[in-house]
Amino acid sequence: MSNLPYPWLEKPWHDLIREGDRLPHALLFTGEAGIGKRALAQHLAQFLLCESPNKTNQPCGECDACRWFLAGNHPDFRLLQPADADEATEDADTSKKAKKKSSVIGVDDVRDLADFVNLSAHRGGTRVTIVVPAEAMNTAAANAFLKTLEEPPAGAVFILISDHWRRLLPTIRSRCRVFPLTIPEPKVAMAWLAGQAVVNPLLHLAHTGGAPLAAAEDAAAEWLPVRSAFLEKMAEPATLNVLQLAAELEKAKLDTVLILDWLQKWVYDVISLGMAGVIRYYPDWQDALERVSPRARLLLGFASQLNESQALAHHPLNQRLVLEGLLFGYLDALRGQDRRG
Amino acid sequence: MAYQVLARKWRPKTFAQLVGQEHVIKALANAFASERLHHAYLLTGTRGVGKTTIARIMAKALNCETGITAEPCGVCSACTQIDAGRFVDLLEIDAASNTGIDNIREVLDNAQYSPTAGRFKVYIIDEVHMLSKSAFNAMLKTLEEPPSHVKFILATTDPQKVPITVLSRCLQFSLRQMTPQQVTGHLHKVLAAEEIVFEPLALNLLGHAANGSMRDALSLLDQAIAHGAGQVEEAGVRAMLGAVDQSYLFDLLDALAAHDGPRLLQTADAIASRGLSYEAALHELANVLHQVALTQAVPNALADDLPQRGQILAAAQALSAEDTQLYYQIALHGRRDLPLAPDEYAGFTMTLLRMLAFAPAKPEQISGNVSPAKPAQISEKASPAQTTASAAPSPAAPTNNVSTSTQSAPVQSGATALGKPEQATQTIPAREPIQAATPKTESAPTYDDLEPPPWHSEAAEAIYQASEPAPQSVAEPAASVIESTPSASPVRENKPAESFNGDWRGLVVQLKLGAAGMLAQNAELLGYSDIHFDLQVAEEHRAVATRDYQDKLRSALSEHFGRDITVNVNIGAIAGETPAIMLVRENAARQEVAVAAIQNDPFIQTLVCDMGGTIDAASIKPL
Ligand SMILES: [Zn+2]
Ligand SMILES: [Zn+2]
Repeated sequence: MSNLPYPWLEKPWHDLIREGDRLPHALLFTGEAGIGKRALAQHLAQFLLCESPNKTNQPCGECDACRWFLAGNHPDFRLLQPADADEATEDADTSKKAKKKSSVIGVDDVRDLADFVNLSAHRGGTRVTIVVPAEAMNTAAANAFLKTLEEPPAGAVFILISDHWRRLLPTIRSRCRVFPLTIPEPKVAMAWLAGQAVVNPLLHLAHTGGAPLAAAEDAAAEWLPVRSAFLEKMAEPATLNVLQLAAELEKAKLDTVLILDWLQKWVYDVISLGMAGVIRYYPDWQDALERVSPRARLLLGFASQLNESQALAHHPLNQRLVLEGLLFGYLDALRGQDRRG
Repeated sequence: MAYQVLARKWRPKTFAQLVGQEHVIKALANAFASERLHHAYLLTGTRGVGKTTIARIMAKALNCETGITAEPCGVCSACTQIDAGRFVDLLEIDAASNTGIDNIREVLDNAQYSPTAGRFKVYIIDEVHMLSKSAFNAMLKTLEEPPSHVKFILATTDPQKVPITVLSRCLQFSLRQMTPQQVTGHLHKVLAAEEIVFEPLALNLLGHAANGSMRDALSLLDQAIAHGAGQVEEAGVRAMLGAVDQSYLFDLLDALAAHDGPRLLQTADAIASRGLSYEAALHELANVLHQVALTQAVPNALADDLPQRGQILAAAQALSAEDTQLYYQIALHGRRDLPLAPDEYAGFTMTLLRMLAFAPAKPEQISGNVSPAKPAQISEKASPAQTTASAAPSPAAPTNNVSTSTQSAPVQSGATALGKPEQATQTIPAREPIQAATPKTESAPTYDDLEPPPWHSEAAEAIYQASEPAPQSVAEPAASVIESTPSASPVRENKPAESFNGDWRGLVVQLKLGAAGMLAQNAELLGYSDIHFDLQVAEEHRAVATRDYQDKLRSALSEHFGRDITVNVNIGAIAGETPAIMLVRENAARQEVAVAAIQNDPFIQTLVCDMGGTIDAASIKPL
């Protein structure tokens, strides 16, 4: 029998299975990055394809279908993802935090998929497609996907996965059953992380807002020293050399989205500490946060600016210039000058 | 996967089964009954209102073997084949995906050949505005000289993108969004037929959540049935929708009124622990704020049987009209920005903290009397909550009416004691004295004799100073910025203007709109004539484009110009600026100037450095 890879997926799994025959042909798994949406989708796909006559609550793990699936070559299974996605990582949910920039799922990919869906199945009739992340479909692809999604041939099942479901076309959303996955209980997440030999699970969970897979990645990331150096500089705005820091960050060859994420979390913590006395992401930086937090309110405008930058961060802009702009923005904000660079 | 989703199973097969499009159905049915046929029809409307469904019924009405009819039999081979999606003379093209048919152009070119099985060759083209140019041309060729055996049924969510050459050749029907009541009524019927147990209140919730789309409603119903293991109960549906227990929302407003940051976050945590959606929470918070504002403007506006009536009335008392408006705007922006935050919790709580920051501050909070939150002191005590305990001010009773007298605020006396009176009086960011100075310098009418407009955001809020482009004028001295601000000089003339010069914002301040002012403030003027105004409202402000507000606006305009004026309100992207956007931008600029002036003030600098005091940018009002 194949088991669920993560303990916190038990409940959502049973919620899914409970539906039995009522399980719709189009599901949309939503939730924060790094909580195992993709693992759950894979498990469901295997379950649907499993040919064991006595399967009840789990895929058997032994039949031909299960073996093919686990080997990654079941003929009735498709994984639709951006061409340059990092296939190696099991938790590609978290690709936002990873180095690789994800590209789009284009209209041609969707048309290829339509062929797969419309051809008759090789085995029992069930064909499962996972689309991850669903928001990677560009508008043309999403539109092309609509009809397939609404009236698919018998036996076709789609599982869409999205960290940012609001970016999906409303027409896509309304054709899917939305299945939200929440952040797991900290206790469960911590126990699991400890089992993965993560040294300070609580801390890494905090860094990722409670998402355990992202936390495991956080604990093992090569860029940890870069982040520490970065946060140190943020804590000492009086001596911050913007040009130098931006150049250093560029040299680290990290995704702008990742650095923005650090900065967003830092700014969030400063504001939250200053205004409500709570640190969310960086409890290990409490002293530093307290030094800056008396100016919490000055950073509110800057926080919106960061949101905007996050929306644009996927565009291929000159990273160093982008970072310089952000860091100057941070200093200006702390000085009470919301000058936009 | 034998289960067929309800949206598919319950797709109406006759005109009679359709819900909520009576006006269109009647016209169509009459036309078919009397065989007055057009060769091209265009169905418009938002998603899920039934465009494709109606198109398919029309195809049956045209091809039913009983004759052209408003009541296709449903049993003849044409009807059954159309229902099953395999009628040779019905070509369904989804222009959005171009799926199903390899070469649309070729297919359309073939329109000239007679039908094989039916009376008419029917082309249903969904999302027709997305056809390629060559496909449009092929269609136009046929539309210009239509063979008698060809019928086009076009459907689109975006008729403005359909070429006028095509539009002009179509008989157009616009489908309405269904009301929650219509949706609820239909769900009722479906459940009765499916023999599924339900609680009526659960259906009300679904009816509202569906946003006028029957397809969405049926998908949600499917979900609710699964969620409730075969029955549909209110509590279950509430949980499934992530619908927030309203009491949380009032807790949030309470915490805001009490200026209590920690409590604000505790309430947010409580919402999270219940697994509720922050998206929904912000949406509902905006709704509640809207009701609060309505109550402030029109005290009897609330229905007597509204469950939260008491709480809304209390909130209307506790919050100033100005803050209510501000919170509403912040909630809307916060919802938009939710996916851009590190995670939803952060996006949600940041929105709440923004509200907190822009709430009125007591002068002593900003002045030297601040209980100095000394960093050293905090870092010794690990509990960060202490920070707030000392810094959080008690709620200041917000005053809307700005008196013209210059009050001597505690700030000033403090400053004098420190020996720098001139600078202090100019720049200290105390709310009251500076506001008081404003009307004086402009010698404009004060606000207190104006009826306080419910959505008046004058006092607002560089809520999003960073999200609005900073205008060039930032570098200018504060005074000149203010002079160039039209909103700073409210016009109070009653004599109707004969003609309109295109200054929408200038016009809006002259209209007596009450709550409908919200519509006007958030509308962009697209075009106008002597008797007509075309307005555009962004999707995010859809809530203010109600029929009531539109009517109010129309009558206000008619009254103002002394003639009948029609108003058309579109929902769509704003390309230019609405009065609300202009105001936010201007205030952002003013805020920047004011903040910069204060920050550059050596006295304030000393205060900040020596005493660990903080400058509260939010409370700084422009001079
Ligand atoms: Zn198996
Ligand atoms: Zn018939």
